Amino acid sequence: MEPLDIDLEEGELELPADPMHLNMGPSHPAMHGTVRIVLELSGETIVKADVQIGYLHRGFEKMSERGTWAQVFPYVDRLNYVSPMLNNVGYALAVEKLCGIAVPERCQWYRMVLGELARISDHLTCDGAMAMELGAFTPFLWFVKAREMVWDILEEETGARLTHSFGRIGGMANPPSRDFKGLCRAALPKILELVEQGEKMLLKNRIFIERLESVGVISGTDAVALGWTGPCLRASGVAYDIRKAHPYLRYDEVDFDVPIGRSGDTLDRFLVRLAEIRQSKRIIEQSLERMADEGPINCDDPRVVLPDKMDVYTTIEATIQHFKLIMEGAKVPKGEVYSYTEGGNGELGYYLVSDGGGTPYRVRIRPPCFQITGGLSKLLESRMLSDIVPTFGSLNMIGGECDH
Amino acid sequence: MPTFKLDGKAIPFEPGDTIIRAAWRQGIEIPHYCWHPGLSAPANCRMCLVEIVPKPGTRPLTLDVLEWDAKAGTYRPTQKPKLQPACYVPAADGMEVLGNTSEHVRKARHDVQEFLLLNHPVDCPICDQSGECKLQDYWLEHGRYHKRMRDEPVHKPKGVVFGPTIVYDGERCVMCTRCIRFMAEVAKDPVLDMRERGNLNEITVSPGRVLDGHYTFMTEHVCPVGALTTKDFRFKARVWFLRTASAICQGCATGCNAWLDYDPRYNRAYRYRPRDNEKVNKFWMCDEGMLTYKAAHDGRVLEASVRGTPTSTTKALETIKTLFAEASTQSLAVVLSAAHCLEDNWALLELGEVLVGTKKVYLGGHPEGYEDAILIHRDKNPNTRGVQQLATQIAPLKSLVEEIGAGRVTHVLALGGAAAIDPAALRPAAVVAIASHHGPLTSAATVVLPATSWAEQSGTYVNAKGIRQISEKALEPQGASKPAWQQAADVAGALGYEPSWTRLKQIRARLLGSTAVDGPAAPLPVAAPGE
Repeated sequence: MEPLDIDLEEGELELPADPMHLNMGPSHPAMHGTVRIVLELSGETIVKADVQIGYLHRGFEKMSERGTWAQVFPYVDRLNYVSPMLNNVGYALAVEKLCGIAVPERCQWYRMVLGELARISDHLTCDGAMAMELGAFTPFLWFVKAREMVWDILEEETGARLTHSFGRIGGMANPPSRDFKGLCRAALPKILELVEQGEKMLLKNRIFIERLESVGVISGTDAVALGWTGPCLRASGVAYDIRKAHPYLRYDEVDFDVPIGRSGDTLDRFLVRLAEIRQSKRIIEQSLERMADEGPINCDDPRVVLPDKMDVYTTIEATIQHFKLIMEGAKVPKGEVYSYTEGGNGELGYYLVSDGGGTPYRVRIRPPCFQITGGLSKLLESRMLSDIVPTFGSLNMIGGECDH
Repeated sequence: MPTFKLDGKAIPFEPGDTIIRAAWRQGIEIPHYCWHPGLSAPANCRMCLVEIVPKPGTRPLTLDVLEWDAKAGTYRPTQKPKLQPACYVPAADGMEVLGNTSEHVRKARHDVQEFLLLNHPVDCPICDQSGECKLQDYWLEHGRYHKRMRDEPVHKPKGVVFGPTIVYDGERCVMCTRCIRFMAEVAKDPVLDMRERGNLNEITVSPGRVLDGHYTFMTEHVCPVGALTTKDFRFKARVWFLRTASAICQGCATGCNAWLDYDPRYNRAYRYRPRDNEKVNKFWMCDEGMLTYKAAHDGRVLEASVRGTPTSTTKALETIKTLFAEASTQSLAVVLSAAHCLEDNWALLELGEVLVGTKKVYLGGHPEGYEDAILIHRDKNPNTRGVQQLATQIAPLKSLVEEIGAGRVTHVLALGGAAAIDPAALRPAAVVAIASHHGPLTSAATVVLPATSWAEQSGTYVNAKGIRQISEKALEPQGASKPAWQQAADVAGALGYEPSWTRLKQIRARLLGSTAVDGPAAPLPVAAPGE
């Protein structure tokens, strides 16, 4: 019997010498955050990857110049929409820094607990989605199940599961609910249990490991040069965490570690996030311990904090205060400020300029994703086409944040 | 110029100035309710109290007070400086005054504010003053406390009708007496006074009288709080939705400076507020003038019409073309309008005199009316002087009627609708009127083209004193209206001429270049600080 390929001539098998151009996104299922990558391929190898952002654009910074300072909160919710509470608190801290006010201790602990819950939600989403995109659907469901528990607590506290708009200048919208501590303490072990289960499924899976290990490697020096921060930087071995390096709220009073990776590959970024979930749990437990059950949640400066609703209805002073804050906005002293916190993805900075009025003159954001996404093409070049999905997934690029 | 120091800052003053007035001239506001730059100072609100540092070697003015000592749990006698009302104490060279920097002054302001709001009703949500109320502003600046009184507040009359235009609310009143003083000092009609004492104090109208006359609206505008409201503006709009444009009142030849408040969402004007200008109207406006904002919407020509039938502007221009086909230069007359701005008049004059070549120029406008010695001028047109400067050989409309009667004028290009003549007298001629408002000229006209009113365009007006002032655009053009100078350019095009103007800037440049307009170009006056 003749071999089947006997008729084929050698010349016909030759692949075209020109590189192939391929558009990935902005509407590709793995290109979440609507990013577009224009690829130049030689076979399956990426010669050049041109990462293009801007497909998700709200004009957030310009929008903020329309309303009052407090009306920016719903906009910042939608920056990193997987951890809106961190954005809320970050913005509140920035305005408070400009106003020169400090919130009561109880509020600081409350903000830390809510923020760390949001961080857990952020990391669970990132790692879960990354696994799912590589075909591991079950761990994704488990991680999302754990995230639901976080969101249930946040819903109980704020009334909203995703876009809470819960931060306020000089405090929070509401004091902690009566069962807040109990809810957190009940949910945390269950969340960790689910994380462990997911881990077991993934970290013993050879396919999963091999698709992550030594993929998308970046050295610590390069990551710093690109302006990377957050888990992606720490995966490259640089132990820079704003909560440790420049503590805000009461992070200097709690005991937690900064997990770092060794090789800066995709697997390290995956593992650092899992480790940070455990550190967040530690922070939450200590904060709950320290948070008082009674006491004011808002500072008592009438220039920025809304009065009690019953007083608004019954006394002229509170009516005036309410009117001024709602109609004209809190008057933030003239000046500028840069305030930065550790967001889900790294340094989340706000640069605010006030002309002394009730409306921001300028709100500029330093989103962690912007710099990180800027390094994506470097990670992809000379890798295989199929490496894009885990590498991009591990950076956790969020479109709402990248919006400039 | 002598100076004194306010919080360390040198303030120059003219001899005789009080501390508050000297600071006001420098744009520094010392908080006050009862003081008004145009009225006498009664020093009764006590909000402008300041600390005057005694000269070295002189005994300081002090008060013996009892201060609560929390540690000892008792009051202990002490002394504090006696504060002085800045609206009453004349500034002296080298005087050192402490305002914001004095702890005693801050405390005094805080306490005065607390007293003023003691019996104040929770009215902000339904009060027209809300958003521009001194009680609100000063509470946030100097008060920032919460109510301590738990008793029922003293109730006073609400919704008292003072006259045909003004409604009074006793509970909101802070007894600054500005309205009383305005009526007595400026309007020269002391019809308001106050009755009772202490927290029963209220403003009242003289028995047998109502608050009427030509200056009642001003009482509302001098009121620092929401106690006096005009029936015209009451419950009509919320001030924070309004935008404002600096306008010139169209009511008479005085040319009072005003803020025209309008709501951009509905393209609607809501009120006038007087704009301070020492040279023209000081701080005041009359009732008739204040109500002329209504002319932005009432009696407007909003679409073109031919022989009374509404039509499109294009059709109207075609009609003009056929109508004026056999018009000779000798038989064509131009009617300018004292009720329109200089730019509009310039364009029509340019069309008539330069392009067509006629020498027959007439002046239209509103008939004369009531006048007084305070603000109101006999001439009810905002721009008579300007038009007279623009067209020196201008003749009254009466002579146009004679010319038409004699058959010497058969075609008329007119600006504005207002005229002090019987429209029937113009009917023998073919009249084209470019007008913002209906009037005798538009009813006599064969073709009417809609023009924007003063509120919808930027225009220059010269008042009776010869002061040239610009009224800024507030509203967007309504209906099919365009600025009259643009309509004049379109008419020129329809008549087969090439207009030499297409933009307002060009007209302004030509106007400034012409020696005919000699009035001093007044810089746009700005509102006085704090008012």
